[in-house]
Order: sequence, then C-alpha cells, then structure tokens
Amino acid sequence: MTIWPEPRLLPCGDRALSVELGDEVNRELNARVLALEYLLHQQRLPGVGETVPSYRALLVYYDPLVVGYDALSATLRELWTRARPDVLPPARTVELPCCYEGEMGFELAAAAQKLGLSPDELVRLHAGAEYYVYFVGFTPGLPYMTGMPDRLTIPRLQNPRTKTPPGSVAIGGVQCCIYSIESPGGFWVLGRTPVRLYDPTAADPILLRAGDHVRFRAIDRAEYDAIAALVDAGRFAPRIETA
Amino acid sequence: MSALLVQDGGPLTTIQDLGRFGHLRVGIPTSGPMDREAFVLANRLVGNADNAAGLECTLLGPRLEFTDERLVAVTGADMAPTLNGAAAPAWQGLRVKPADVLRLGPARSGVRAYVAVAGGIETPLVLGSRATYPRGRLGGLDGRALRKGDRLPLGAITAARPLRVRPDRIPAYAGEAEVAVVLGPQDDRFTPAGIAAFLEGPYEILPQSDRMGARLKGPFIEHTHGHDIVSDGVPMGGIQVIGEGQPIVLLADRQSAGGYTKIGTVCSFDLGRIAQIKPGGRLRFRRVTVADAHAMLRDSRRALDTAIE
Repeated sequence: MTIWPEPRLLPCGDRALSVELGDEVNRELNARVLALEYLLHQQRLPGVGETVPSYRALLVYYDPLVVGYDALSATLRELWTRARPDVLPPARTVELPCCYEGEMGFELAAAAQKLGLSPDELVRLHAGAEYYVYFVGFTPGLPYMTGMPDRLTIPRLQNPRTKTPPGSVAIGGVQCCIYSIESPGGFWVLGRTPVRLYDPTAADPILLRAGDHVRFRAIDRAEYDAIAALVDAGRFAPRIETA
Repeated sequence: MSALLVQDGGPLTTIQDLGRFGHLRVGIPTSGPMDREAFVLANRLVGNADNAAGLECTLLGPRLEFTDERLVAVTGADMAPTLNGAAAPAWQGLRVKPADVLRLGPARSGVRAYVAVAGGIETPLVLGSRATYPRGRLGGLDGRALRKGDRLPLGAITAARPLRVRPDRIPAYAGEAEVAVVLGPQDDRFTPAGIAAFLEGPYEILPQSDRMGARLKGPFIEHTHGHDIVSDGVPMGGIQVIGEGQPIVLLADRQSAGGYTKIGTVCSFDLGRIAQIKPGGRLRFRRVTVADAHAMLRDSRRALDTAIE
C-alpha cells in the first residue's frame, strides 16, 4: 500500500510545502489530492497562493509573512480528513479528434511492432479507451493521463526526441500524453489532434483540467485538415460533456 | 503616445513584471524577474509600483531611445550603462528627455540587468501579467524577446524625484555565492554521503543554464535507490538531482512538475544571487530550517525596504 495513512507535509523552501498523500499512480489517490486542493481554495485562507496538484501530492505556495508554516500545516491536515472525491464538482469528458495516419502518427508502426499488434489494432485499442487526466503541466496544458488497456503498456523511447510537434498524442509506460507545445519527448507518437491544448492567444489558453476524462475520435487526414482550419479561424470547440 | 524605442534588443531582453500567478496548476510558469530584488529596486528608484513591467537584459544589454521626459533606472548586472554615449550611473534614477539613448553593454559582473522606466511598460496584460514566457509565446511583446524596431508603450507618469540605492547596499556580484537551502521534499531519497557532498560543494554553473534552471556540476550526489519519483510539483528553487548525481536549480520559467528527486529548495530571497552568477562561477548550499528561512526572508525584505535613500 502506498497511500499514506496520514499526509506527509514536506517543506519546499521558504514559500511552499508539499502535501504528499502517497507514492503511486492511482486514481483514488489523485482524486483525494484534487479534493484537498478544492477544499483549500474554498477555505480562502489568507497567505495561500498557487497550488499544483500532481499524481500523489499537492504543492502549496504560501506567503510566510501572512500565514505560518505550522498554521498552514494544521489547516491542511484538517482539510485532508474531509478530502474525498465526492466533494469535487462533476467531471467533464472531452472528445478530441485524433488523426493516426502517416506523418501524424509517425511512430505508430514502430510502436505496433514493439507491442506485437497491427497498426490498425493499436489505433482501435488506443482510440477505444477512456482516459483520465490526473493533472496538467510540465509544459502548459499537457495532460498526464492513463486509461489504456494493459496491452498497450510500452517502455519509453530509448533516445528521446528533441522536438515533438504540438498536438502529438503519445504513449509511454501506462501513460498517454498530448504534447502541448513543441518540446522534447520520450513517448511514442501514435497520432495528432488538431485541437490546441494550449493557445496563448485565447482568453483561456488551457483546454484540459485535472480530473477530466478524455476520449479520442479517430479521424482521417481530410477531417484533420478541415478541423485544423476551423481551429485556426477560432471556430472549433471540442465536444465537452459534464457528468 | 509615449514609447520606448528599441534600437537594438541585445541577445535576450524580455519584458517582465513580478510574474503570472494562478496558472502553475495548468503548467504555465510564473516567469518574472530572475533577480527579484534588483528588479524591485529599479522600479522603486523611478517611483513605480514593485509590479510595474520593466526589462530584464541578459549578458549584453539593449540600446533604447526615449520619446519623452521621464525617469529611468538601471540595476542588477554591471553593464556599464551610457546615456547619449556618456557613462551614466546605475542604481539610481536618471532623468531622460526625448531622443536620449540609453545603452547597456556587456555584463562586467553579474548576468542580468534591469531597466525600469517611470510609468512602466504597458504592453497588454496576458492572464493578469506582462511577464514574458518565450517558450510558451506568452506575455511581453508577442511572447518573445525584444528586437530592433520594437516600440514599447509606456504608462502615464506622476511627478517623482530620482532616488538612489545606498552605495553600501549595491550588491557586488562576485561570481560566487552561498545560498540558503531547506532540505526536501525528497531528501530521504539520498544517502548521508550524498547529502554531505551536496552541502560541501562547491558547484559550478554550466553555460546551459537559462531561465528554466541553473545546471550545476560538482561533487556527485548519491541516491539511495535511483532518481525517478512519481512525478510531483516542482517548487521555485527546487533542486532536482538527475541520473549523473548532478543538481539543477529550477527557476522562473521552470516546468511545473517533474519526475526527478528533489534534494532541497533554494530559499526565495537567495534566488537572485544564483541569477547573477556567470557560467563558470561557483555556488555553495547552506542548510537552514524553515524557521531560519522565514526569519531570513523578513530580514531580506527589511533590507530591500531600507536600501533606497
């Protein structure tokens, strides 16, 4: 069991602390992290700044000239006792079109071979799954997700790429991610979504949130191009359902 | 309209304010000045609020032309500023008039100089901030470093007299620094020998260092069992130790989360010292408790508030 019976409060310098709830990738654990974050912001405690949820910990920035470490720790411990997933608002499900063809999925064939599947089977299994967003970050808007069938568990690339095009949908280990800006990468790129996960020109630049569910819809190149044109014109909104 | 004209941008001059807050949880870094103290002093010298947008200049400064009368101040790295070709003092407010040209040269000591102009730079607010985050093409001027021909809108000014930083409070950037560090959050993933090596140092700053992080080279820091963790949030000043047992101090434009062990966190009030060490310069870490760190933060705020005369 790597969910701690009590939260571990770990100092992160003079202006942040980490509330660590466990040490594994586990949806129940992550939901408790998100619930703790939610309750903390509802509390509106003076001196509490930004929070960064992740798989198993909540990083909390604070102003020590306003709230002391001990007082903040006590509040976090108290909130933790109430931090259950049912305090969270209903989850959203976001449908993302994804083109697995040709250059869009430039590592699809290699990944399929590595997994002993045909490329078509890999696409069917990948697009048929429902994904859960544990948290968003590393680069702006990048979702850390799981949800793939066990068949698709794959070691990361031995030699990470230096550049991955934004929108690339990729897998590594049990995880799936979508690169949000051009960046290095160690996951296998299976396809690309024309939807922008990060759009610095938009009023709200980030599409996905921690706790969201994601489904992929396989599209062909023609539809990719059509949606990309709508995205460029600011006239495409992905389908979002709230449970 | 009042503007600051960029005759030459220098290699990496960006618009910064104190930073963009509230979006780390979706991976958008705070950005803001790498040396907060020098940045804030520049603003105060010209009568601006601490958060007014100014320029961060890296290693080699820009050439700037003014279009009206107002105050300007240069702080941080010593880039031997000149006004219309004549040496102009840093760390104090200077009065400029239309067509005056301020030039900053190569850094003689330190790495990052700050230019504050009375009224502040008034490029559009993006997510509540004017700070530039070039990797995400966000904020500043079109999310990028300045270049020749740029025209930066300036805010309205109120009457203010030029101030100066007390000479004994002007930092000497020695190319070496000792910074306070609180151990954790993953100090339990290092052996006692690893922690001792880390605290003994010194570590050399490598040229690959940038606004994301300072890459260091020095004594090997031994892990108990590998450097991978279940990814978690990366605090400002967090010190990741990667496979080769070498540390990286994560800074203003850092990734919001990561999967490497973090041995400690550099305290906020000492981050500016790291920002001013040139590649090849050396850094040592001194262990403090959280309570020490908070007392030191108060002292550093007090020092900042009494630095100007």
